Amino acid sequence: MLNYIIRRSLLIIPNVILLTALLFWSVTALLGSPAAMMLGEDASPQALAELNSVYGFDRSVFEQYLSWVWSALQGDFGRSFATQERVIEAILPRIPASIELAGLAILLAMFGATVLNSIPHAKGVLTTFNTVLSVIGITVPNFMLGISLIYVFSVTLGWLPTSGWVYWSVDPIKHIMHLILPVVTLSAFYFGSFTLVYRAEYKVIYRQLFVKVARAKGLSESRISFKHILPNSILPVITYIGLSLGQLTGGAVVTETVFSVPGIGRLFVQSISSHDFPVMLAIGMIIIVGVIFMNLLADILYTVVNPQIRLE
Amino acid sequence: MMAMTRVAGLAVIIMVILVAIFAPLLATYSPFKSSVDFLQGASSAHWFGTDDLGRDIYSRVLFGARTSLFIGIGAAVVAIFLGVPIGIVAGYFGGRVDVLAVQVIDLFVALPGLVLALIITTMIGPTLPNLMFVLGFVMWPTVARLVRGQTLNIREAVYVEAAKALGGKPIWIIWTHIWPNILRIVSAQFAITVSFAIFTSASLSFLGLGIPPPTPDWGGMVRTGFDFLSVTPLVSMAPGAAVAITVLGFYLVGSSIE
Repeated sequence: MLNYIIRRSLLIIPNVILLTALLFWSVTALLGSPAAMMLGEDASPQALAELNSVYGFDRSVFEQYLSWVWSALQGDFGRSFATQERVIEAILPRIPASIELAGLAILLAMFGATVLNSIPHAKGVLTTFNTVLSVIGITVPNFMLGISLIYVFSVTLGWLPTSGWVYWSVDPIKHIMHLILPVVTLSAFYFGSFTLVYRAEYKVIYRQLFVKVARAKGLSESRISFKHILPNSILPVITYIGLSLGQLTGGAVVTETVFSVPGIGRLFVQSISSHDFPVMLAIGMIIIVGVIFMNLLADILYTVVNPQIRLE
Repeated sequence: MMAMTRVAGLAVIIMVILVAIFAPLLATYSPFKSSVDFLQGASSAHWFGTDDLGRDIYSRVLFGARTSLFIGIGAAVVAIFLGVPIGIVAGYFGGRVDVLAVQVIDLFVALPGLVLALIITTMIGPTLPNLMFVLGFVMWPTVARLVRGQTLNIREAVYVEAAKALGGKPIWIIWTHIWPNILRIVSAQFAITVSFAIFTSASLSFLGLGIPPPTPDWGGMVRTGFDFLSVTPLVSMAPGAAVAITVLGFYLVGSSIE
């Protein structure tokens, strides 16, 4: 077991190096001269050269990458071109909002998909309802869903705030009110995919012997469903979370932008629009490395729960 | 149930394609012509109202179908052309080729497609062909993974063994035995890739990093309308509904074939 975990963890090192190098190279090579961008088009060659040597843009990309990684490992991602603020200080305070939003959305989707699809549905009305809901969740883009929710619940009904963020420490109730719509928006896609994954497994487990035994014992259908089938069918959903983390970050970027959530996704979009290269690079790296690590974690968790799977 | 959703999906796809082809005939105004009638609601003159520059939203939505279909279908073609050969080669030959392919596929499947597309499009510029290639490039690993899995299964079939015993060359076996058997899953994957490419390109435009104005583009129109949601919701709702319906159409067809 430990052996497997160590081997699996070592395998991600080349991936991390390869991807971060690729990102760094594409950002620096294709963005052109950052110095020219900072100083404007009619900057003198001396000023450009001076700035290049200050920031180290005159070195080879490989050297730049190594020194970037070396400082990044020490928590130094440079300074933002736009605000001159230290990048790390711009990013760190925004991480909690992103994690809170994404975490709650995943939890809501998981809870909704497993509970709604475990209710013993004799007439099939609920099944149809769930199918429709999951297809809507998968196909309606986050921005459209978010805007529709804002239109209905904020603009028309006036029940919830349109956008923005109030920190928990400032006002817990307002904090929750501001969270509801973004969390629902972000969870919709996951509700849809979890429903598909969970249902497939549910059908398999449903036919197993212990379910028949439970029924023969005279347990009620809902008890069989929630106590016996649900816990045994949830594993693929958990694996799927690991696999879909890439999707999640994409959805979070859009959702944070729609609802003006002060998370790293929105900062990422802003940094791209304003060509703020250090911020963009730092967030890109954090997302990529984060997704790789979370995948590893999901893999390890899966092996712990299901020892049949081992590295071939 | 499956047949019904497929028919419904096909109907939507045909409708969107017809709209894209006949947009100039169906449109009541030029999609670029601005007027002084800003942000009007729906009326007999402007069926879906007008946007902040007084342009007719109905006409812009029609022309937006062209942009979306071009990117969606183009990206799916790119993804299929990259993903299918790689998947077949990895699945059929196995060994080191397969190990390498799986490594690369796993690496890219896990990555955030939208974030990747955001970075690459910003670098190379958000033109129609660029977006098409970027989205195709982001989506090929999913296609390759599915094709590889299918090929692996078919490779073990008795008829493939028989073909090998008869001395069939790999290319011949792939063409006569593997390809016809994966055609179904490839076409399903094609439809699903189209739907997600349209979804993603609309998201890029919504973030302001896709097709630049004034090209009629659904995601960009939704973004414009977002600022005027309380004045006239149709500015974003009409193009937003168009995205959702188109994505749904392709998704239904794809998932019903699978």
